[in-house]
Amino acid sequence: MGLPSGTFNQSYGQDMAIFRTRTHWVMLLAFLIFLFACPLFFSDRILTILTIIGITIISVHGLNILTGYCGQISLGHAGFMAVGAYTSAVLTAKLDWSFWAALPCAALAAGMVGLLFGLPSLRIKGFYLIMATIAAHFIIMWVILQLYSVTGGGNGLAVPRPEIGGFVFKSKGSYFYLVLIIACLGTFFAKNLVRTRAGRAFIAIRDNDLAAEVMGVNLLSYKLLAFFIGCVYAGVAGSLLVHYFAFATVDQFPFMNSVWYLGMLIVGGMGSTAGAIFGAVSLKLLDELVTIVGPILSAAVAPQAAASLGLIMRGLVIIIFLIFEPRGLAHRWQMVKAYYRLWPFSH
Amino acid sequence: MTKIKWLFIASMIIMLLAMPLFAACPGEETTPPPEYTLYVGGGMSLTGAYAEDSAAVLAAIEDYVQYVNETKMMAPWRSETFPDNVTLEVLWRDDELNVEKALTIYEELKAKGMLVYRTSGSSTALALMDRLNEDRMGSPSALVSGPYLLSPPKTCLTIYPIYTDDLAAIADWFLENWTEDRAPRVAYLTADYPPGKSILIPEMDAYLESIGYELVGTQLVPLVPTSPPTTQLLWLKENKVDLALCWMINPGSQPTIKEAVRLGMGTNLDYKITFGLAAPSHLPVFVPAMGAELSEGVVVAGSYPPLDDLATPGVAFCNDLQEMYHPNDMVTHVMYEAGLVEAMVQVEALRLAMLEMPVEDLTPVDVLDFGFFKITDLDTGGLSSTPLSYSSGNVEGVDEVRVDQALNGKIVKQGTWPLRHLYAQ
Repeated sequence: MGLPSGTFNQSYGQDMAIFRTRTHWVMLLAFLIFLFACPLFFSDRILTILTIIGITIISVHGLNILTGYCGQISLGHAGFMAVGAYTSAVLTAKLDWSFWAALPCAALAAGMVGLLFGLPSLRIKGFYLIMATIAAHFIIMWVILQLYSVTGGGNGLAVPRPEIGGFVFKSKGSYFYLVLIIACLGTFFAKNLVRTRAGRAFIAIRDNDLAAEVMGVNLLSYKLLAFFIGCVYAGVAGSLLVHYFAFATVDQFPFMNSVWYLGMLIVGGMGSTAGAIFGAVSLKLLDELVTIVGPILSAAVAPQAAASLGLIMRGLVIIIFLIFEPRGLAHRWQMVKAYYRLWPFSH
Repeated sequence: MTKIKWLFIASMIIMLLAMPLFAACPGEETTPPPEYTLYVGGGMSLTGAYAEDSAAVLAAIEDYVQYVNETKMMAPWRSETFPDNVTLEVLWRDDELNVEKALTIYEELKAKGMLVYRTSGSSTALALMDRLNEDRMGSPSALVSGPYLLSPPKTCLTIYPIYTDDLAAIADWFLENWTEDRAPRVAYLTADYPPGKSILIPEMDAYLESIGYELVGTQLVPLVPTSPPTTQLLWLKENKVDLALCWMINPGSQPTIKEAVRLGMGTNLDYKITFGLAAPSHLPVFVPAMGAELSEGVVVAGSYPPLDDLATPGVAFCNDLQEMYHPNDMVTHVMYEAGLVEAMVQVEALRLAMLEMPVEDLTPVDVLDFGFFKITDLDTGGLSSTPLSYSSGNVEGVDEVRVDQALNGKIVKQGTWPLRHLYAQ
């Protein structure tokens, strides 16, 4: 953990602390207060965007653990989200389970399916693993569509909203709080996970799996663990998404979402908890910008000018980051912090 | 006399001085009523599989709104007028057929004051359905799938028949023309895609069997086949299917029918079979693309008249609007007609609601209750199968389904058949 000039660690505890100085704590507290105060001064529209961003952050954290830290590239993340989503939807809608019981089951189900599709990861990697995870997405979608009597097939499934002690999370503000709390817990867990033995093993596998194995890292178990944890996050995000819409349909989990989640990691910075947040926030806000700019561009240039603008812009941003800042926004943020730490001395 | 003279002069001076004051005072006759802007439009899918359709729909909505703003007329064949002090504006956003975007767009446009809202496709409508219902937002939609949406009816309104009703009409038409003694054999040949699968409901099966069909089974084809669906077509042949009921979009139906013709399957070919498709395979798109030989005998239900059918007032209106506003950039996609109908429904709902409530007090609930649900026999100039009517229990606007067949490269209207209301329970 970098510290401002003149501040030194004096114990292992201090060295390990995520938030080390009073300024860190004050900033964190101010940021959390700001987040929790959002429903007081933001419109339903902004709260909807923030809620969707929150759900995306949870999902991207999972992909970051799997891909960013462990190096197992997955393009089946939307499929794993669908597993969690439908588990939760079926348990609450068909079996009248409480959301609070269905949520961990959704996470577990997605994790188990992730384990299953993670099994080939010991033998295959890179391009072949990508193909395997793409297959996972389509197999999951196929199964959901075939199980018509359980999942509603193409017609989808109406899902009840979360409820606690008679209070229904129906308003935009209440659901925002629910997502915010889970996103904060997810971020805290992700940040700490990579500081554990498992996290260090993930990084070792990502950097050089042969070297990691030689050092005694059990490749299969740690790769599977990464798949499991990554998919648990996806399952939670999927569950939150369908309960937010109060409806579950396979169209909520298109294959392209998996691609954009990977894009978020590229833009935010792979292998960084902050990167997952930066990536999700920036690409989702870009989405909103494009949505607003589209009609203006269409009126000014040509009616067709807005068509596919979202795809073009997202693609362009990812390419720009790959060329000019492959370490993502998280690296930029590190540079800003480094500048602050060294101030008033320059590099 | 002098006194009277002075009194007269004094009163004249007072009147002259008072005149500007009278003129300055607001009078009921002289003050123009305040101007208001109401919004129409909603989510469009300008990116993805329905981009071309949505672009045509958007063009129609923009043209119609300009027409109403300029003329204050509702349509050339209608006598009702739109209020002078209200201007319409089109608000739209590209939802990319992505449900997350559709939700944030809905919230954004609702916050801007939209009282009516279009959803672009079945997937977005399904996802927004409960939100729209909670807000009591009337939402005429391009969606026609998901009988689920209509059971129970909520606030999504269809402007053309749902797919199961399309296919029921084809089944009715086919049976009327059936001459053999045995029961006709029917099978589903549908896209492996949610709207494609929405036709596979027990109510549809029961209806087909109740009118005398022998139901054979189901074959699924990809939404956009990457290779000809030969296996599925040969399965139809082996099972001696007489009528194939299909849900496909044009990029799926064209290669499928092309392969069927290659295999000798068609109304006038070695193996006699009729392909009956629901509305997304619009014949005005299908026939020009396939040509007379390949499109021969294909039946589509729930679609619109071809754009060259200028004898139909609605089609002539489509043509006139485009001649007026963009003569050098004519939209030739049949979904322009769908967009025009959608725009008419939205604007009519606003007009009707304004008859009951002051414009400044209107809310989505008012527009739903006093607008959409009061629409009775809205004449679309022959664009929709029948005039449109809605009520709180009836969100399927038409009462009958138009059935067309491609014959010798022409689209020939076979007639209209009543809705069977085949909703999934």
